[in-house]
Amino acid sequence: MANTVKLEIVTPEKHFYRGEVELVIARTLNGDEGFMAGHTWGCKLLDIGELWIREPEAEANTYKLAAVGGGFIDIKESIIIFADSIEWKKDIDVDRANREKEAAEDWLRKNEESAPEYEVKRVRNEMKKCEMRLQVAEGGRMAAKH
Amino acid sequence: MAAESMQDIKRRIKSITSTEHITSAMKLVSAGKLRKARAIFEKTNENSHYITHAIEDLFTNSKEIPEKYLEGGNDADGVCYIVITSNKGLCGGFNSNVIKEAEAHIRMNSGRTVIVPIGSRGRDYFAKRGYEIYNEYTAPPEEITSHEARELCAPILDMYEKGEIGSVVLVSTSFVSAMEQRVIVKKMLPFDVESNPEVGTSKFVEYEPSPEAVFNYLVPKYVEMVTYAAVVESATCEHAARRTAMENATDNAREMLADLSLFYNRARQAAITDEIIEIVAGSEAQG
Repeated sequence: MANTVKLEIVTPEKHFYRGEVELVIARTLNGDEGFMAGHTWGCKLLDIGELWIREPEAEANTYKLAAVGGGFIDIKESIIIFADSIEWKKDIDVDRANREKEAAEDWLRKNEESAPEYEVKRVRNEMKKCEMRLQVAEGGRMAAKH
Repeated sequence: MAAESMQDIKRRIKSITSTEHITSAMKLVSAGKLRKARAIFEKTNENSHYITHAIEDLFTNSKEIPEKYLEGGNDADGVCYIVITSNKGLCGGFNSNVIKEAEAHIRMNSGRTVIVPIGSRGRDYFAKRGYEIYNEYTAPPEEITSHEARELCAPILDMYEKGEIGSVVLVSTSFVSAMEQRVIVKKMLPFDVESNPEVGTSKFVEYEPSPEAVFNYLVPKYVEMVTYAAVVESATCEHAARRTAMENATDNAREMLADLSLFYNRARQAAITDEIIEIVAGSEAQG
């Protein structure tokens, strides 16, 4: 059994998770990275991506899975993740994600050329978040592992 | 004459009674709203203080902060004041305390002054006096979301980045207890790291993708979170202040009513005595 490290996940609105974990895998801007107890101190920005958490009492190869919509991770003696948005796999509303994704695609088709660049970027980002939610709802990129 | 003053007193009693009804109803309403706002405040408070403290911690323990965010790194002399007031009145000195404090600070500043009012009371005050209003938020403060706080802060950070303003100051009310609220002035940007003795004791920290990118993300986040938390806190203070003000008004009205009914009874007694004297005098004259 691996050593454990305290993990906290907060969003602007609420406290999302708090507990001892063995391993947490997050998508940083440079790619996926796993964090365990005793990791080098760091402060890294998170991309839109999957978040895998391995709890000590969990059965072998089972992870808690969540969809993160960007944020940052602060690694010290304990790990804190500040997410702009985050949802557990079971809480994802697939219909809503589908709807929002379609709305974003629709908007892009109509306004991509005329709208200001930051606006297009924002909608693209929203779309990416919806796609990530859908991906996570289906068990994530490494679905076989689950 | 006695009858006339009795009429006057009666009229006053009637009007004060209806005032008392209104103030005591408002007191009950704001007590209920306070309870609700306080629940939200306590929930957000724990969370947002968590975020802001963690970020402050990072700032004070890092030597890699881009210079533009540090004291002396931005030499523009303009100051942006974020002034948080309420949208409604009848809450005692709540708004005037904030405005007074903000104005005292503005007077000390010789450069350009930009005001971002949150709450229509502050906006009206500063707009009337010809201050430069940049952006405003006048929806009910209880309903602010972190997304709205982000949109509110984005243009301020833009101005800061472009060097149009040299610092960002927040003037708001802090919740001490239901009976006590205090006006606080907080300088959000630039950071005054020198004052913290912990600098230099830090360990090696990895920044990804680069220290600059991390802080360019964190600084706006910090400003948003502090603003968001301050708005929620200020909403709680507003209800607490209104509750106190209405309680005082109700007490005063009751006191006035007690005095007036005493005067009324005295006047009534005087009228009766007068009448008896007249009757006695009349019967004596006859007899």
